[in-house]
Amino acid sequence: MKQAAQSVCAWVDERLGVSEWVEFARHKAVPLHRHSAWYYWGGVSLFFFLVQAVTGVLLLLYYRPGPDAYESVRQITYEIHFGWLIRSAHSWSGNLMLAAIFVHMFSVFFMHAYRNPREFGWWSGVILLLATMIFGFSGYLLPMNVLAYFATKVGLEIPHALPVIGPKIAELVRGGLEVNEFTVQRFFALHVVVLPALFVPLLGFHLWLVQRHGNAWPPAEEAKPAAARKTIPFFPNFLMKDLAMWLIALNVLALLASLFPWDLGDPADPLKPAPPGIHPEWYYMSSFQVLKLFGQWFPGLAGEAVGMVLFTLGLVLWFLVPLYDTTQLAGRRARNTSYFGLFALAVLVATTIWGYAGLR
Amino acid sequence: MNYPFWTVPHIGSGWVIGLIAIFHVMISHFAVGGGLYLPLAERKALREGRRDWLETLRGHSKFFLVLTGVFGAVSGVGIWFAIGLAHPEATSALIHNFVFGWAVEWVFFMVELSTAAVYYYTWDRIPERLHLTVGWVYAVASLFTLVIINGILTFMLTPGASWLAVAGTGQEASRFWPAFFNPTYWPSLFLRACVCISLAGIWALVTCSRIDADRQPELKTELVRWSAQWLVPSFVAMPFLLTWYLWCVPESQRALLSFGMSTIGPGVFTQVTRTVLIIIMTSATIVGVVYFFAWRAPRDFSLAHATAILALGLAATASGEYAREMLRKPYVIGHYMFSNGVRRSARDALNRDGYLTHSLWTRPNGDPQLARGEAMFRGECMACHTPDAYRGMKTLLAGRNREAIGNLLGMLHAYKPDSPYRAFMPPLVGTANEIDALGDYLATLAPAAKPVATQETGKTAVARR
Amino acid sequence: MNETTCHLDALAKGEGLFGRRAFVRVALGGVGLCYAAAIGYPVYRYLASPVEKAAALAAVTEVTLKDAEKLSPGSVLMFKFGPRPAMLIHHKDARWVALDAVCTHLGCTVQYQPERDVIHCACHGGEYDAYTGRNISGPPPRPLTAYRVKPTEGGIVVSRT
Repeated sequence: MKQAAQSVCAWVDERLGVSEWVEFARHKAVPLHRHSAWYYWGGVSLFFFLVQAVTGVLLLLYYRPGPDAYESVRQITYEIHFGWLIRSAHSWSGNLMLAAIFVHMFSVFFMHAYRNPREFGWWSGVILLLATMIFGFSGYLLPMNVLAYFATKVGLEIPHALPVIGPKIAELVRGGLEVNEFTVQRFFALHVVVLPALFVPLLGFHLWLVQRHGNAWPPAEEAKPAAARKTIPFFPNFLMKDLAMWLIALNVLALLASLFPWDLGDPADPLKPAPPGIHPEWYYMSSFQVLKLFGQWFPGLAGEAVGMVLFTLGLVLWFLVPLYDTTQLAGRRARNTSYFGLFALAVLVATTIWGYAGLR
Repeated sequence: MNYPFWTVPHIGSGWVIGLIAIFHVMISHFAVGGGLYLPLAERKALREGRRDWLETLRGHSKFFLVLTGVFGAVSGVGIWFAIGLAHPEATSALIHNFVFGWAVEWVFFMVELSTAAVYYYTWDRIPERLHLTVGWVYAVASLFTLVIINGILTFMLTPGASWLAVAGTGQEASRFWPAFFNPTYWPSLFLRACVCISLAGIWALVTCSRIDADRQPELKTELVRWSAQWLVPSFVAMPFLLTWYLWCVPESQRALLSFGMSTIGPGVFTQVTRTVLIIIMTSATIVGVVYFFAWRAPRDFSLAHATAILALGLAATASGEYAREMLRKPYVIGHYMFSNGVRRSARDALNRDGYLTHSLWTRPNGDPQLARGEAMFRGECMACHTPDAYRGMKTLLAGRNREAIGNLLGMLHAYKPDSPYRAFMPPLVGTANEIDALGDYLATLAPAAKPVATQETGKTAVARR
Repeated sequence: MNETTCHLDALAKGEGLFGRRAFVRVALGGVGLCYAAAIGYPVYRYLASPVEKAAALAAVTEVTLKDAEKLSPGSVLMFKFGPRPAMLIHHKDARWVALDAVCTHLGCTVQYQPERDVIHCACHGGEYDAYTGRNISGPPPRPLTAYRVKPTEGGIVVSRT
């Protein structure tokens, strides 16, 4: 029995070279220091993405886009066994995935882990975050309930604020002058075909880069002599801890999904007035609030255009950080970059809280 | 009724008890489990000549003393304040019944506090054997506080037939022992003892994570692994104990597990069941996480890892206490007092004479209709519901008009044997007038509710001033 | 490290078949099984849910119930209006009433009680008027949807109003 298993292993190994990977993983080391806890968040994001993929495929089995959208989600929630759980798990893990990616991104930023040779890791990561946000935006409409309807309506004001081409883009995305069944249909196509087709290869690229370059040392640690730095082997030590984190993540997800199941809400009805306190999802709150503020400060559409331009500039600056923070050690430029990161974080948090406070 | 109503906005008074209690449970169970951990570890260290253990144990006993002696004791007193305010009626009933039990518990508690202090301050100052004996005295005293409080806690779920036979006659204290050793006493005691042992291990892991693995690698490996083993007993015994416990719970309460209410659709589990499943899943996660973080890599075990395990432990105990409270519905003291403080035996009298007439702290006469309705809501509903947030009327009554609310209240008042609400909600008591007032008040909370008659709208306007 | 040295290690430490290593392995296997069950069961039930349930409700606007006119007065016929259960009541005063049979509270199937002439929901005790579907008692927030009934030669035709 054991011999048979071993010979099967050998047969597979001879053709695929599995043992080379294991050998590679064994030699790979993960830095160990005060800030090691931040290394888990990429893995946690990946875990939630896998949950998204599995639960998403399960939902796909019963979901019908178009005019039937709400009814099919109602059936999933109330008639299909455990449909409520699958749907809750999908919604919650989507939100948790975004939260984990934000933590991951800011920790990479503050550890200056985007520096040479990891620039492409940073760029692919930021694009993955933006793609995840579009995943969230397109997925939110799919149940076609009141909240989704009005949140999408409000959310499309962001591209709408783009000068000149904005309204046209918003109309094309919407597939009409108002959010309607065509919007659901094209959001569905975006959510389950276009985005995954772009996301998965990019994620593969991102993970390949992580394997190629390994985890980055934070500048403070890098300054130490090599002998004073500690590492642990990736396999099995770090992988075991990663698994433990995945278990915790799964537990948090199960807790949220089963104790706070996602509401279905009432079907969307364009003729009804918007319920009070309509707002985009939390990850769009900041940009939404910035647009609103600039809209109030400047007359007409100019304000929103200014807000949009400023926001885009900030994003470009954020995206290009590996190009202007290149010094290897902690220095003035690194410090200034950290201040920029803190500023960005503060603006995000403050405008988000402001946005929620403004709803009352 | 005999006491003023305590109103806590948004979370409800129940969660004030809950938040303090969950915090207290984490620490008090550690106080008992840690009482076993310290002398057992000290004994092992002395017998096997592991002198390096003693230094860590000393640090752990300081942490233990501060945590249990300060936060444990303060949160325990906090529970007294909170239950006295939120459930004065039930607290009074418990004191009348168990004043002797509590007196005994406090004696043990005093012994516990003093020996914990003596234990820490006499490291290296008295002979080692004597120091170990102090540890054992602490262990026994703290175990007995659990032995006693467990009797009172389980009494609230299952007072037992013998006590219920004399309930309300003034002779309740004569059935002290049967009430104390009630049907769920033993399974609950063993269950809690297991939790104590696990928490001792979990909190010890917090101390162990602080050992510098570069300086003392063997010590860290040994202590982390030895502490991790403290999770094994409850992992093995928990499924059996949980089954035993649920077996001893009366059928009427067990029915809450499979009941379709308070769920989002037909055919799915209830909140209690989902909570129980969360406990099981979280316990399994704790075992997995301890294995991966502590057992496999004891030297890399850090404070962050220990905190993660602690947080999981908090989630598991919080779910456990929540499920236990939910299981008691619709009573606060099983088959004797409903969760809103109305005694089961008082129902007829309250229906006849009125609920508000028996409430000493409201002025039933001359008040406008809505004020009376609000008083009814405060007295009979706010033990579990809030107007706008936790189990909020705003959500629960959404889409119902005044008539539909009246229908629902009528059903709660009739309290027919086949009424499904009997399983988890007390009957609505009071005269028809009072229930009308409650209905009018509730209609102002429900978002889509439109008052049916203009006359009532007029009243609303008056009451809102 | 291969299996044999593992066993030798265990034997050398006096941890045979029931030693610590074996125990840890069994315990972790148990935890793993718990997880597999906790995830597998809901997924299995989800997949196994009858797909016909999901048949479009909107597609059906009219149902012809053959031979339903023979229904004796004071009795009820349960039928499917599309995927939803519905009820056709032949009242003692010969009136025909067709109502949706899904309780507006939490979606249980309701039943007609001829002796009391009301529609009753066994789940939470809600009650509806058997002529109009109006909610008269208990938790239901809304009345039952009433359908149009037309007795014809070939049977009773029930349609959306």
